[in-house]
Amino acid sequence: MNNILEIEGLTKSYDGKKKALNDCNFFLKKGEICAIVGESGSGKTTLLRLIAGLERPNNGCIKINNKIVSSNTRITPPQKRQIGMVFQDYALFPHMTVEENISFGLKKPGASEIENLLSLIKMDAYGKSYPSELSGGQEQRVALARTLALKPDLLLLDEPFSNLDIGLKSELRKEIKSVVKELKTSLIFITHDLYDAIEIADKIIFLKDGIVLNNSKVNDFVNTENEEIKKMISELKLNADQLLKLVK
Amino acid sequence: MLNKIKHLKRDFSQWSVLTVTIALFVAIPLFSILFNLFSGVGEMWKHIVSHYLFDFISNSFILIIGTGLLTFFFGTSCAWFVSQYKFPFRKWIERLLFLPLAIPSYIVAYSYVGLFDNGGTIIRALQAIGLPIQKIDFMNIYGLIIVLSFSLFPYVYASARVMFLGLPKSIYESSILLGASNKRYFFSVALPLASPAIIGGLFLVFMEVLNDFGAAKYYGINTFTTGIFRSWTMLEDLQSAVYLSALLVILVFIIVGIVAWQRGNKSFAIKGNKSEKNNFTRRELKGKKRVLYLFILSIPLLLGFILPVFQLIIWAIQTFSEMFNLDLLWTALQSLTVAFFAAFITIITALALIYFSRWNQFKQINFFKRIGTIGYVIPGAIIGIGIIKSSQGIITFFSSNFNLNVGYIFYGSSVVLIYAYVFRFLSVTFNPLEANSLKTGKHLSESSYLLGSSKLKTLFRIDLPLIKNAIASSFILIFIDVLKELPLTLILKPYNLKTLAISAYGYAEDELVAEAALPSLVLILIVVFLMFILKIDKKNE
Repeated sequence: MNNILEIEGLTKSYDGKKKALNDCNFFLKKGEICAIVGESGSGKTTLLRLIAGLERPNNGCIKINNKIVSSNTRITPPQKRQIGMVFQDYALFPHMTVEENISFGLKKPGASEIENLLSLIKMDAYGKSYPSELSGGQEQRVALARTLALKPDLLLLDEPFSNLDIGLKSELRKEIKSVVKELKTSLIFITHDLYDAIEIADKIIFLKDGIVLNNSKVNDFVNTENEEIKKMISELKLNADQLLKLVK
Repeated sequence: MLNKIKHLKRDFSQWSVLTVTIALFVAIPLFSILFNLFSGVGEMWKHIVSHYLFDFISNSFILIIGTGLLTFFFGTSCAWFVSQYKFPFRKWIERLLFLPLAIPSYIVAYSYVGLFDNGGTIIRALQAIGLPIQKIDFMNIYGLIIVLSFSLFPYVYASARVMFLGLPKSIYESSILLGASNKRYFFSVALPLASPAIIGGLFLVFMEVLNDFGAAKYYGINTFTTGIFRSWTMLEDLQSAVYLSALLVILVFIIVGIVAWQRGNKSFAIKGNKSEKNNFTRRELKGKKRVLYLFILSIPLLLGFILPVFQLIIWAIQTFSEMFNLDLLWTALQSLTVAFFAAFITIITALALIYFSRWNQFKQINFFKRIGTIGYVIPGAIIGIGIIKSSQGIITFFSSNFNLNVGYIFYGSSVVLIYAYVFRFLSVTFNPLEANSLKTGKHLSESSYLLGSSKLKTLFRIDLPLIKNAIASSFILIFIDVLKELPLTLILKPYNLKTLAISAYGYAEDELVAEAALPSLVLILIVVFLMFILKIDKKNE
């Protein structure tokens, strides 16, 4: 088995009535990139938070590296899951410098290690800066470096491209894909932009009202017969060649 | 059902246990009062009911209504004038109007006697300009209402001022364009919008009135709080004091209910962008109105702070050589030490309750958190009686089961007193600290967990550094409250502890009011200094 993540019958309700996530099932192979798409309130963030261990499921089971980390009887705390997560608001510690943020999770942070990470995100000159002095794109890079510093088995990104302008977005998409492949980690990211999903993901999960409507490889996703997905793809306004190029 | 049992087992943690334990431990005095109600009435209960109870109830109601009306009038009008108009010394007056909070109301009560009694400072001044006044008698319930009102109106002033300042310019301009006069704008628009905040301020005034012991005792007015002391000390009937406390708790909850009902859903969200609000400009006053408004605003400041302090200074000069000695310094040092430890432990308890309850997975447990922070609406005398009753039970338990005498821990040290302060003032720090911690959002802590830190490590590296300013402010607020506190300290202080408040009260009780001035002034000076650090109006904003 080379699955990094397995999810079986995952259900979550915040108020005991309406289900934010309902009987969700899927798996992710090691090194794969998976995009979760869906409208606001479809359960995307809930799914990510459940995987990270920040929420507890009402039912179902989550396995990471073949070990049960969430079930009805057992919960592994977030700090013991070997998972990294970057929030939509980046959540950089405002009272710490960029260097301190990046080295936060490291047991014995070495100067060269931090320098390498700063160089990886092209922010060598910003080590002593505070988050309030950075732009949105820079903040996101720092948040990513801080998470990657721990070499997580699985990386979770909540709407990583939502606060960026078009140029920066395209650049960051490429960077994220190359970093993930280079570090041989796995990635799940949330996006409401299908273009992002098709361009960098190996697999797409489409959520609606807490239910997984589609869970397939990108190739299968763009050729699906599901009307809703077809409509979403048509809204991208790409011709067949352009779509094929994007998938490739 | 099976799933629920499994989840209970999965989600149960030490944080749930700690939250419930801390909340219940802190609230023991309240449970003690309720529990002891089942032990039957005390020997003197019939006597109290037939001779005093009506006085306790009627006087407490008259005080609440009278003080409520006056504080509403002064607090709201002062807030309106300083927030809407420009006049000479406006900035100074706006800040100084908070200062009456620096003087405990019992000290204002003593000073009024020196100002307005036979041969009093003001009376002599009035006689000097030819007015044939012998004295103005404040030693009655109406005098007490005036004293408490001038002492407590800043609670209403502070809440109303913030609301009036927050009203966008566009609301005023719309009203005027729709043909409303300034008067109509105030009564039909501004006052209703500020009413939830004003009611909140009035609620604090009511709680302070019910908690007052020193002023009512000095003026000879029978209230619930003086009654509780009388039953316990003069009639030596602790059980009747418990019954009176229970009645007072009921009165407090009736007030809490009325306030909640009055406020209802009236939290008006005021739309408008920030820049628009900041563009709000005070209206310029012209001619005689400038002097008139300055004069009106000076009255509460004069009667609530300047005149009482002036009288205290006169007395302090008269008694300086006799009163300024090592004993005074030792008393001040004891006051500061007790206040420091009480504030420190209260902050630790509040932080523990906030974060342990957040880390626990059962939402139902939040109910216990509320029980633990109910102390601010429970008058000090009740907490004192509750603690005495519960400590008696513990002493008896250890003595009869283990032959151990633990009484000296309760009555010979300040441990019990500090515990009582924690219960009384926990909500003063809990609410602002919880609000501040919520403001930082949960993602920062969650990031820290995902980066490998435990909850405790995250608390010290992320959560607490981010709210350190709020912690410092809360510390100072509790420090001030403990310095001023009287009834609780009187009941629970060990025999060898003397605080500035106790010292001032003791001299005034022995008819040595002038001698009470110097400890009172030292107390006021410390509080004013701390309020200055705190930028005095932060608490109520």
